[in-house]
Amino acid sequence: MTVYLWTSHVKHIVLSRMQVVMKIIKHYQEEGQGSEVVQGVLLGLVVEDRLEITNCFPFPQHTEDDADFDEVQYQMEMMRSLRHVNIDHLHVGWYQSTFYGSFVSRALLDSQFSYQHAIEESVVLIYDPIKTAQGSLSLKAYRLTPKLMEICKEKDFSTEGLKKASVGYENMFEEVPIVIRNSHLINVLLWELEDKSTVADKHELLNLSSGSHLEKCLQMLMDRVDEMSQDIVKYNNYSRSLSKQQQQKHQYVQRRQQENAQRQSRGEPPLPEEDLTKLFKPPQAPPRMDSLLIAGQINTYCQTVKEFTSQNLGKLFMAEALQGQGS
Amino acid sequence: MSRFFATGSDSESEESSSAEEITPKATGTAFNKNLLLSDDEEDTKRVVRSAKDKRFEELTNLIKTIRNAMKIRDMAKCLEEFEQLCRAFLKSKAIVDKEGVPPFYIRLLADLEDYLNQLWEDKEGKKKMNKNNAKALSSLRQKIRKYNRDFETEIANYKENPEQSAEEEEEKEEAESGSYSESEDDGEGVTAKSFMKKKPAAEPAPEASKFLKGAADDESESDDDDDDEIWGSDSTDSGSESEDNEGNAASLALAFLKKLRRSKRKERAEEEAEEEGLEQEGGEWEKVKGGVPLVKEKPKMFAKGTEINIPVVVKKLNEILQARGKKGTDRAAQIELLHALAAISEENNLGQGIMVKIKFNIIASLYDYNPNLATFMKPDMWKKCLDCIDELLDILFENSNIFIGENIAEDSESLAVSDQPFRVRGCILTLVERMDEEFTKIMQNTDPHSQEYVDNLKDEGRVCNIIDRLLQYLENKGSTEEVCRVYLRRIMHTYYKFDYKTHRRCMGIQGESKSEQDQEESEGEDSAIIMDRLCKFIYAKDRTDRIRTCAILCHIYHHALHSRWYQARDLMLMSHLQDNIQHADPPVQILYNRTMVQLGICAFRQGMIKDAHNALLDIQSSGRAKELLGQGLLMRNMQERNAEQEKIEKRRQVPFHMHINLELLECVYLVSAMLLEIPYMAAHEFDARRRMISKQFHHQLRVGERQPLLGPPESMREHVVAASKAMKMGDWRTCHSFIINEKMNSKVWDLFPEAQRVREMLVRKIQEESLRTYLFTYSSVYDSISMETLAEMFQLELPTVHSIISKMIINEELMASLDQPTQTVVMHRTEPTSLQNMALQLAEKLGGLVENNERVFDLKQGVYGSYFNRDQKGGYQQKQGYQRDQKGGYQQKQGYRGGYRSQNQSSY
Repeated sequence: MTVYLWTSHVKHIVLSRMQVVMKIIKHYQEEGQGSEVVQGVLLGLVVEDRLEITNCFPFPQHTEDDADFDEVQYQMEMMRSLRHVNIDHLHVGWYQSTFYGSFVSRALLDSQFSYQHAIEESVVLIYDPIKTAQGSLSLKAYRLTPKLMEICKEKDFSTEGLKKASVGYENMFEEVPIVIRNSHLINVLLWELEDKSTVADKHELLNLSSGSHLEKCLQMLMDRVDEMSQDIVKYNNYSRSLSKQQQQKHQYVQRRQQENAQRQSRGEPPLPEEDLTKLFKPPQAPPRMDSLLIAGQINTYCQTVKEFTSQNLGKLFMAEALQGQGS
Repeated sequence: MSRFFATGSDSESEESSSAEEITPKATGTAFNKNLLLSDDEEDTKRVVRSAKDKRFEELTNLIKTIRNAMKIRDMAKCLEEFEQLCRAFLKSKAIVDKEGVPPFYIRLLADLEDYLNQLWEDKEGKKKMNKNNAKALSSLRQKIRKYNRDFETEIANYKENPEQSAEEEEEKEEAESGSYSESEDDGEGVTAKSFMKKKPAAEPAPEASKFLKGAADDESESDDDDDDEIWGSDSTDSGSESEDNEGNAASLALAFLKKLRRSKRKERAEEEAEEEGLEQEGGEWEKVKGGVPLVKEKPKMFAKGTEINIPVVVKKLNEILQARGKKGTDRAAQIELLHALAAISEENNLGQGIMVKIKFNIIASLYDYNPNLATFMKPDMWKKCLDCIDELLDILFENSNIFIGENIAEDSESLAVSDQPFRVRGCILTLVERMDEEFTKIMQNTDPHSQEYVDNLKDEGRVCNIIDRLLQYLENKGSTEEVCRVYLRRIMHTYYKFDYKTHRRCMGIQGESKSEQDQEESEGEDSAIIMDRLCKFIYAKDRTDRIRTCAILCHIYHHALHSRWYQARDLMLMSHLQDNIQHADPPVQILYNRTMVQLGICAFRQGMIKDAHNALLDIQSSGRAKELLGQGLLMRNMQERNAEQEKIEKRRQVPFHMHINLELLECVYLVSAMLLEIPYMAAHEFDARRRMISKQFHHQLRVGERQPLLGPPESMREHVVAASKAMKMGDWRTCHSFIINEKMNSKVWDLFPEAQRVREMLVRKIQEESLRTYLFTYSSVYDSISMETLAEMFQLELPTVHSIISKMIINEELMASLDQPTQTVVMHRTEPTSLQNMALQLAEKLGGLVENNERVFDLKQGVYGSYFNRDQKGGYQQKQGYQRDQKGGYQQKQGYRGGYRSQNQSSY
């Protein structure tokens, strides 16, 4: 299947062939456990305003033993090999699994930036295995907004910079809609499978036990909130010291002015201007990117929880109705 | 007058000036002169003179050493001595003010400075000098420069006519050679005098006249008799005997004169000594001022044929005692001598009075044998001491007519055998107390794991015996204060011993077992009764706070040791010791700590887990239990304290046989903590802000968790941790097997006198607390649970289970109700689920987040525009404020410009 992505010029992603999705899922199933994350490379090509992802291959799992493993080397090798067998070998992004929707991190930002910097149309596919296990395939494509790209290029993560670029947690990433397109043969197969599958197979979707998932989400949300609080406190301290210094600076300038005025009245030359920045070194501004990322992550969690609860509520109402009928 | 001197003496010869010097005095103190010639007057004169001469002697001595040091180029020594000299000079300021600065002082200052400058110039020599000396040289140079500024004129004068002072010096040297050999005292007197004589010669110098003026003033006022006398005597001496005194020779002659007089006096003293009939001992005593030990050969106690009676013996005794504390006195020989004296007095039947007195002194000198307070007595000395005290007590018991007391004055003693009772100075109580301390010291200094310790410990019986006897004696004769003190000693030897006999009787066991000896030992009344009697006496009679405090603590300790928990607790609470113990001295605090620990252990034995925990918490939580109980020093502190402190701390240690087993203490603490903490943890699992009951217990748990591999428990702590883990699951059987097993029995539980009872109590507690933990942990799983099942699970009787559950329900720890007919507990499920708990926590955290965020906004006010568009209005206002600021700034600028312009205008 093909995945189409809409981007600046790529409007949507087409995952052509089931193969890509299946490969990602298989990769996680085989190697990822719990909170461990699996990653891989997406291959494909841009067609008009679509990004078609036609193939992918996983990154091998790192262990401590092979520290000198060269990822780039591996990628190049892999792509060359693919080319030999005449498969699409254009690098268009990467994919990553996620644990309860926690993927907004500095690492992701950095690598996505470097991808997008090199290949403009590249995207990151986020695969949520847990949601998938509950019966709904969760696959999302993200890319950095141009604004964020700009900031990342300048490496200006100060308050000012972010303000100027007016980047909030809402517009750091943009999601690109995904379309999964299968060949007709596969579609036929799917229909056939659906026909054959019993009702019990679909019960997964109607599972009412939601406690543990929600708990997990809440826990992680809580952790992030804690981090956020810390960050805010840090920022608070910073701005307090900054304002204090500003005041001192102001006082100093005034005093200097008064003195100069006095000196002038006495006919003496004014005191030489001194470099104020040398006298008052501004305190180190805490980087704001982290808190932005945390905010973004919190947002994602909230979305997840919202989605999940609304689904569950629906299910509960359904169950209630069914029970009422039954009794 | 000074004017007269200053001008007159310039032209006159020295002789005449000295003659003149005498004349005014002669008129003032004419009658004095005659008196001075008499013998007794001479004595007083000697005493009186010392005021000034002593100072000058000190100065000259120091100067001499400095000159010596200068000769051998010992700068360090020079510096040291110079500093001393300055101090001495300062001290004698009163005299100097009166007499003027002595020229020998000035001379030294000048010479020293020259000498130093010379050394300073000598680069080669300086290089050769060692570091110490070089350093001393530079600092001395600086010092003397500074110092000499005060004497500038004097030094200048001295430098102007050094030949005269040189002469002076020469003469002084002579005088010294004459006088120093005999005694410093005399020599000093002469030098001081000689310089006085010289004064007129050095007349041209203004300071000399000044000095003279001072002297003359004194004379005219005649407020200072000493001076007058000195001068008077000098003049008479020189006048009468040495007519040929001319110029510089005068002082030399004077010196000889002095010497003569001295030796004469000495002869007289010797004669007197002989007269005393005591074989010159006394005389010798006076002459040899310490140094040679007085009694070298012991056999020569009394001369043959001397009639030995009480005064003679007393005199001899005093004589021996006088050597006490002197350097070089052979202490062992002294003890021997005293023993010999005792033997002699016994031989001659001088009566018990003198015997007691000698005995007192023997014991005292035995204690004196060790000059150092830290070292302990040697075994033989200790044995001797015990024997002596025993004998002394024997005498005292046999002769009820002996009064002893500290406040009997030496001269009001009556030692002779007569109808009147003996009165002897001395305090037996102090001696016994000292003996007790010595015993403690011996025990502290013996290796507790050696046979020696056991041997030493056997003396404890004797010590107790002596104290008992003294107690009997003082009960009849002593004052209440003394009785209190001796009672406290007795208590101190009783409180820590477990009374097996009574215990056995209480238990109703009449067995013949290994504690037979113990039974014999603690014959007489129960120690509890003794303690009660003694302590109550002290409570009633004691006036010093310390003895009462100690008695209370010992009493509590004793109660606690014998499991009389309520009495012990009540006494502790009534005494209010907890409030002010921190003001007590360290030994009392150690006793307090020991008592608290014993109290806690007692509570544990009685099954009062909470009380036990509270009592032990303070000691155990500090992690310095060993130190707090005085049972050893912590290595950790080694660097922090110096040797002195360490010595003091060592002296505070409790002897080994009184120690409280630290492992037992820790185990009791940890087990009580476990019994309290585990149910508490289970009850407050989701409480975000739960507090720990026992930090140390948590620490142990964490240590246990951190272990990579959990083997079967080895140490006591591991056992408790393993038991705690089992208890968390409500598995009382495993918990029980961890707490009570072979290992733990041998390590801990068998140390209790009633080990079996304690173990039973523990099992019971474990069952109960496990039940509680189980209910806390798993109540959410059950809709209802039958009490019978619970009773079976935890091997408890139904009523107990019922009561425990009821208590939990009443305390709102368990949301449930009891269903009587079916004997079941019905859960209510009002506890929030974990998800709800989490949601609550999250809400709380979010609250904090919002608060923090608002603080950021507060700060931003007026500084920046709004960054978050959420707070539109506020941001707008802020912006306005910002603009206003700008505007203000602009106006200001304008104003400035205006000012500038006007300035420009004015300048043009």
